[in-house]
Amino acid sequence: MSVLSDPRGYWDELTATERGVTAALGLVVFGLVLALLTGALGASYFLFLFGLAGMYALLSLGLNSQWGFTGLINFSVAAFFGLGAYGAALMTAGNSPIAGGLNPVVGLLVGLVLAAVVAVAIGIPTLRLRADYLAIATLGLAEVIRLIVLNERQWTNGSQGLRGIPTFFEDWPVLGTFTEVMPAIEVELVPGSPVVFGTSFWQQSLNVALLLIFLGSAFLILRRAQRSPWGRLLRTIRSDEDLAKALGKNTYSYKMQSFVLGSVIMALAGVFYAHLNLFVNPGDLDPITTFYVWVAVILGGSGSNRGALLGGFVVVAIREGSRFVGDIAWLPVGSAPLRLLAIGLLIILVMRFRPQGILPPQRELIWPSAVDNAAPSRPDRGVRDAKGGGSDD
Amino acid sequence: MSLIEYAANGVVYSSIIVLGSIGLSLIYSIAGFANFAHGDTLTVGAYAALVSFGVVGGVGFSVLGLPMGFFLALLVGIAVAAVVAIVTEKLVYEPLDIGSIGLLITSIGVAFVYRALIQMGFGADAIRYDVGAVRPIEALLPYGIRLTQHDVAIVISAAVLVTGLHVLLQHTDLGRKMRAMADNPDLARASGIRTYRIKLWSWIIGAGLAGAGGVFLGLFNQLLPRMGFNLLLVIFAAVILGGIGSVYGAMLGGFLIGMVVQLTPILSDVGIPIGIEYANAVAFLIMVAVLLVRPTGIAGEAVGGEGV
Repeated sequence: MSVLSDPRGYWDELTATERGVTAALGLVVFGLVLALLTGALGASYFLFLFGLAGMYALLSLGLNSQWGFTGLINFSVAAFFGLGAYGAALMTAGNSPIAGGLNPVVGLLVGLVLAAVVAVAIGIPTLRLRADYLAIATLGLAEVIRLIVLNERQWTNGSQGLRGIPTFFEDWPVLGTFTEVMPAIEVELVPGSPVVFGTSFWQQSLNVALLLIFLGSAFLILRRAQRSPWGRLLRTIRSDEDLAKALGKNTYSYKMQSFVLGSVIMALAGVFYAHLNLFVNPGDLDPITTFYVWVAVILGGSGSNRGALLGGFVVVAIREGSRFVGDIAWLPVGSAPLRLLAIGLLIILVMRFRPQGILPPQRELIWPSAVDNAAPSRPDRGVRDAKGGGSDD
Repeated sequence: MSLIEYAANGVVYSSIIVLGSIGLSLIYSIAGFANFAHGDTLTVGAYAALVSFGVVGGVGFSVLGLPMGFFLALLVGIAVAAVVAIVTEKLVYEPLDIGSIGLLITSIGVAFVYRALIQMGFGADAIRYDVGAVRPIEALLPYGIRLTQHDVAIVISAAVLVTGLHVLLQHTDLGRKMRAMADNPDLARASGIRTYRIKLWSWIIGAGLAGAGGVFLGLFNQLLPRMGFNLLLVIFAAVILGGIGSVYGAMLGGFLIGMVVQLTPILSDVGIPIGIEYANAVAFLIMVAVLLVRPTGIAGEAVGGEGV
């Protein structure tokens, strides 16, 4: 059922939380548009933030396909993100010690292949481990990767980082000169504060377009994969790996496939980041990124791709919000600890009050045609609200 | 530097890792989850001692270059770390109705809250205890060992604490109950042990030892809000090497990993191109190797499917 053809029916089908989230999103979008039009928020900065949020959403999609679907606790998100960013940067950056100045498409491929190879290499030893050991091992291996990137100067330029990364579309026929061709448009809605859409605005629009391509393809591929028998098997592994084994499935192989798929998507986010920020350094592999993405996934709802998208945007809101609050002069706290506190409290509160997340998976895992809309969702009697094993009254 | 000097440093560093790993192992086996906030419990202890040392100052006579006030501050650090752990258990972990993986994720949130609050109170810059710098002990210099009196104080205090724990575990009622519960919680409960109370005690002991480890780490290096979190993975490596659930394994693992980290420079001396910057990486690789080859660690017993 489409939103456009039958908005009323669509709204009626949503759960209470979905309605709440939709309404809240509507309010936020309305507020942002208002801020944009009045000039309170710079248009290119807004698009930059949007790009950042989309990047976190992409990372969350990657983690969600590992944790949400297969139950793999991967604490090396930042490492795969960094591998993607460094793969792209090493091929394209001006001061790359290996092979600078290549086409960004080469960088994209190198970043993804690098991440896939490392994912296999990390997966071979760790994917047989118990869940909590997997968490510790991946965190340790991520730290090893960070130390290598930091210290092997002859390959990565060390703590200097890589600069002079071109934008993704620089060598492309039309898009390469897009930003120069487009005129600067000036809009004055509120007298005295004109809003200018200049070169940087068009540049950020291109970035956002690239992001939407990455995000859209990742989302569609994941949705298709997760509704397939392959996806069902991954969810079986998550809920009961022994059962999957008893059904004759090679769970290790499936876990590996899921791990590599998720890691490649994280690397895709890294490639985007390299061309958004135009500078990468070993600080981008800091484990805090891993935990930002974890917050996004558990807040959005483990196993829900929609939730991962939502979580990505919330994380950027926290990051930028804490910067804003930290700038308030009379508050004696910096933005860094404030951000840490917000993330920490959010993890605790979500785990305490809503461990399934804001938007837990509803029908998105089922083929739409397989849903029998006429059937009642549950029998009208003989069903307890609580799960089994509760009290007997 | 010579092998013996690296080894001497290794003993000091190992004492700190041992104090951290005992608590992590104890909580892993009795509370049943990998506590990612354990590293930041060290930080809590270190900063609590900083505050109390600032209040009491250098009172009393001096032992091993440290005034009595510092040992008082050490006790405060231990106590505060234990209290913080108990409050966290009551406030955060106890009301949760999720499995060990959920607790693990929650503990990351707890770690961030600890670190954020410390950073808000003390800033992100490095601080040192105001105990004055000491020169290496003259008597040891001819042997090529550069140890300060503070280093000796760390090793001796850690040895006292570990011995105390050993006596507690082997010769007291509480210790026997704790060992029983670490071994098999269900059987322990069935035998009439009040497992909840034992759990609280293991939080107190584990976090208290971590607090002491944090104070010594601050004395060995300096105080930073990230000091504990940076050490967490090394402590995990020690616990896994020793065998999760075994306190004595944690002591052994802590000693070995501490030595490995401090002895890494030897590798480049003998021609293997792994510099000191990879000291922690070596420890993590050992950890992964142990998980693969012998997930129960050195002191671990039967391979358990669920829980340890």
